[in-house]
Amino acid sequence: MSISAETAKEHAKDPAVLCCRAEAGITIQASNLEDPAIFDDLVDSNLLNLDGALKIEQVLGATLTKTCDSLTPLTADVLEGYKAEEEEAPAAAPAEEAEAAEEAPQMKAPAAAAVSGGVMKIHIGEGKDIDIELPVGFNGGAAAQVELPAGVQVPGAAPVKELEPKVVRSVTRKHYQITEVKRGPETKIEGTTLYIREGIEQEAIDSQELVHNLKIDIITPEQYHTYSETIMDVQPIATKEGDAEIGSGVTRVLDGVVIMVTGTDDNGVQIGEFGSSEGYLDENIMWGRPGAPEKGEIFIKTEVTIKEGTNMERPGPLAAHSATDVITQEIREALKAVEDESLVVNTETFDQVRRPGRKKVVIVKEIMGQGAMHDNLILPVEPVGVLGARPNVDLGNVPVMMSPLEVLDGAIHALTCIGPASKEMSRHYWREPLVLEALHDEEVDLCGVLFVGSPQINAEKFYVSKRVGMTVEALDVDGAFVTTEGFGNNHIDFASHIEQIGMRGVPVVGMSFCAVQGALVVGNKYMTHMVDNNKSESGIENEVLACNTLCKEDAVRALAMLKAAMDGEEVKAPEKKWNPNVKANNVELISKTMNQTIELVANEQSLPMSQKRKEKYD
Amino acid sequence: MKYGDKIIYMEGVIVEVHDGCVGIDLKGRLGYLKIPMRMLITDYPLVVGQEVGWNMSFIEQLGPEANEKYVSNHDACLKRQKEIKAQNGDSEE
Amino acid sequence: MEDLQILLRQHVGAPCRAIVSAGDRVEKGTLIAEPAGLGANIFSSAYGVVKEVLEDRIIITPDEEQKDEFVPIPEGSLLDMVKAAGVVGMGGAGFPTGVKLGTDLEGGYILANAAECEPGLKHNIIQLEEDCGKVIRGIKYCMEISNAAKGIIAIKKKNEKAVNSLREALKDEKDITIHLLPDIYPMGEERAVVRECLGIELETTQLPAAAKAIVCNVETLARVTEAIEERKPCFSKNMTVIGKMNGGNEPHVFMDVPVGTSVGTMIEKAGGIDGKYGEIIMGGPFTGHAVEVDEPVTKTTGGIIVTIEFPDLHGAKTGLLVCACGGSEDRMRDICAKMNGTVASVARCKQAIENKPGAALKCERPGICPGQAKNNIQFKKDGCEYIIIGNCSDCSNTVMGSAPKMGLKVFHQTDHVMRTIGHPLYRHLRVSKQVEQLPDGK
Repeated sequence: MSISAETAKEHAKDPAVLCCRAEAGITIQASNLEDPAIFDDLVDSNLLNLDGALKIEQVLGATLTKTCDSLTPLTADVLEGYKAEEEEAPAAAPAEEAEAAEEAPQMKAPAAAAVSGGVMKIHIGEGKDIDIELPVGFNGGAAAQVELPAGVQVPGAAPVKELEPKVVRSVTRKHYQITEVKRGPETKIEGTTLYIREGIEQEAIDSQELVHNLKIDIITPEQYHTYSETIMDVQPIATKEGDAEIGSGVTRVLDGVVIMVTGTDDNGVQIGEFGSSEGYLDENIMWGRPGAPEKGEIFIKTEVTIKEGTNMERPGPLAAHSATDVITQEIREALKAVEDESLVVNTETFDQVRRPGRKKVVIVKEIMGQGAMHDNLILPVEPVGVLGARPNVDLGNVPVMMSPLEVLDGAIHALTCIGPASKEMSRHYWREPLVLEALHDEEVDLCGVLFVGSPQINAEKFYVSKRVGMTVEALDVDGAFVTTEGFGNNHIDFASHIEQIGMRGVPVVGMSFCAVQGALVVGNKYMTHMVDNNKSESGIENEVLACNTLCKEDAVRALAMLKAAMDGEEVKAPEKKWNPNVKANNVELISKTMNQTIELVANEQSLPMSQKRKEKYD
Repeated sequence: MKYGDKIIYMEGVIVEVHDGCVGIDLKGRLGYLKIPMRMLITDYPLVVGQEVGWNMSFIEQLGPEANEKYVSNHDACLKRQKEIKAQNGDSEE
Repeated sequence: MEDLQILLRQHVGAPCRAIVSAGDRVEKGTLIAEPAGLGANIFSSAYGVVKEVLEDRIIITPDEEQKDEFVPIPEGSLLDMVKAAGVVGMGGAGFPTGVKLGTDLEGGYILANAAECEPGLKHNIIQLEEDCGKVIRGIKYCMEISNAAKGIIAIKKKNEKAVNSLREALKDEKDITIHLLPDIYPMGEERAVVRECLGIELETTQLPAAAKAIVCNVETLARVTEAIEERKPCFSKNMTVIGKMNGGNEPHVFMDVPVGTSVGTMIEKAGGIDGKYGEIIMGGPFTGHAVEVDEPVTKTTGGIIVTIEFPDLHGAKTGLLVCACGGSEDRMRDICAKMNGTVASVARCKQAIENKPGAALKCERPGICPGQAKNNIQFKKDGCEYIIIGNCSDCSNTVMGSAPKMGLKVFHQTDHVMRTIGHPLYRHLRVSKQVEQLPDGK
């Protein structure tokens, strides 16, 4: 349908297509143009090919040189006097309305049919409203006082004490660099070499009844092009110093090496064989994602063979993880035993800071809880260990509150192994970007991270989401994030968490892999602020490890969006279909406002491809 | 996709229930589907014999080429399973 | 001769009130009903006896012999005579002309609507070809009554003979010009005429008076002339009878058909129906409605069309695209039922505006398409195999831009008529919407 001048302005950057037959000589106006909202459908049905189409802002006022029929994209060869494409908007345009866009579900009544992975634009408002460079933030002048040199008295100022940030607890990470991993008579760390005891495999096998075999492969960067069974988890190797518990005290961690759990059953069937990431490691790992290995790291890869037919039963994946942990635990003991402080290459301290007077926010993280390879071990004694941890499923998936430092210190041992691209590996929590961003953001007061499992049956889903609602209500927060690593039925409780929080008047930003394949199955009126974690080119859950997980660029967008929401900024309606440009626009806007470059992570397209595949896709 | 909008209603019967997945026979001998739990929306405890319904479309080839990556993965998997079979056979003897 | 049925409602407004009773003797031109509210006088169209006065009509049994003389209306001012003669808009709308002309145009325009846009109808053009002087005099009377300074005759360029007659007749008329129209549908819609002639786009709620104009159909103008010059009451109608008739599908034009004559009689005069037929339409293919043979002719009956049989869709899911330019949703459903289709989806052209709930749709920009792809997407989603559209030339063209590619088979609501009369179907638009005007409109 033809559009109004107003709509044309909103869609200035979208392609210009004639809605109806137009005769040569006419001047192009908004009423000659088709509504870009229906382009996806038209392209889908091969009715429209937008190649070479000029943008709406370029064609308005131009003269048509040829009589064209309806649904003809306006290209340079049929127009006279169209505007050249604007390379960049003038940076200093005053009072230019800033617009940000975000991915989101379409709002539909619950139980509506599958909603196409929508995209939502949000309007952040004028630049000054969200200029987070200012220390003033949400608390105006009072906050500025924090910046005053000590001892300076400001007459009539509000009591400074109340507003001083408070460090609740700290965790110190001591990093030990490993450059070589070898097998030897005992497990030990010598300089930067890690030795793993020969024959430890048998002990690992014997520790678990269901484990029939276990093989350790040391994968160095030269060996990345190695075939591997499906990657079930990537874990940091870390241990607590002394009697410290997870989330406080000192943690020792090995740099340059990670544990990688892989496996099959006796018949060679992959554990959790759905969208498995078996294959060549270098083709299946999205390097540098929070949950994935970094390029250059050495993998201590276990290949666990479990009893046939247990690959889909709850004890199977757990046994594979537990057997691997026998090895990790021995390395942890060796790490504890290191006395040479000179081996510490780097020390990092994480402070859990509460910021009274700032907007109080909570992060709700939905984790898998349907059972088997949909489970998580919560709060082991050692970072990402097994001992002492309680499976999420056994806890009934009810919300469990953790301090941000517990999260970053290995409180979650992730058994989840399907949806390799969206699964949050154990290492993901160790480097969880949203927790880090929110913790370090001086404008918000992160009060905690609430983990909630995702049960299978809808009634249980609503049971846990109501607990989330009550917990958040009791916390009296100003805003909340809800993230999920799942899709499919996980989106039912994800939506319900958002509803439970939203109905209590708390602004909430949802984060999930959505795009095309993770299109939300339900929606509600509180799902107005959404960030899509998708990175894949075509918006699907691929087999590339951690490709679509929450990254810093997502955390930054979510934070900006929650701040906007807490300030009551309006949200733009979602686009009908997933449109990756919306995210790009958002990132651009935020980086402009924050005056810092947000580097976007690469996706699966950056991985090596065989020649034939290359020919086909490029 | 040429026929992506041809949505058809399908029914099936749950024939396997595991902790992490279910197996579904499509009614009318139209195939078998094994899906992870998260892709199944459930209002009741799962038991074998429950009927399920969903909308789906036809599956179309995206092109004539075989993706080398998947071919090699498949080959590696088959090879490994053959080895395992051989090994199991040996041990039985 | 058959009994005449004279409807009490032949115009926009309330039904008239009968002022005769059964047994009363009437003559041609006898006033038999008067307006009760907005309306126009109704006269007997024959000599005879009132047989019956029903709620909605007066039945008159005519005498065997009929004289040409009629009872003249009383003399008075020009406007009074138009009012007294009961002239209404004869293009089909039926708005009382006396009321319309009562507006002071402050030097504006009388626009003579000779678009005769409904395909198949010819009586307006024939009238111009044969006696355009009566129409031109009518324009002048209207200009005088309404204080208009200019008259413009809007006519399609393709009607060369009529245009030539007009050019000849208008040579020395300095205030009346001709505006040529392209051969697309709709051009005769009142607001389209204003836009084409004056370049002013009216809102759907506005009358032409907002552009200082009054639009009158050519036959109406001729009736104005008759009322003033001959003091003749309005009791007859010009029309075209066309369709699947014995003797062919050529149009039969009848002038001065007595109001109240039955459709069946007119079809017989034109040769009678040739075998099986689809439906009988009163009015034009776009805006007319289906009638039975006993339906009487009124002051607004412009056409009687007998169509070929309908295709059989065997109950297939069908979408209806309802437009102000074509039939109402009821009419579209009627056609769909006759084609044995099952209505699965109904969409309305974006520009079809319902000014008041239930009021006839009005097009925001007649003949200028607002895009139809979205409607087609809806039809597709609703599982339609066929669609029936009631759109104008331009919109039909747009529908054709996407529907066939989506796998929707397109019928136009006028297809059966167009096939009957050998007119191209409304699908793709091949002609320009622009026409070259005559120098100085002469």
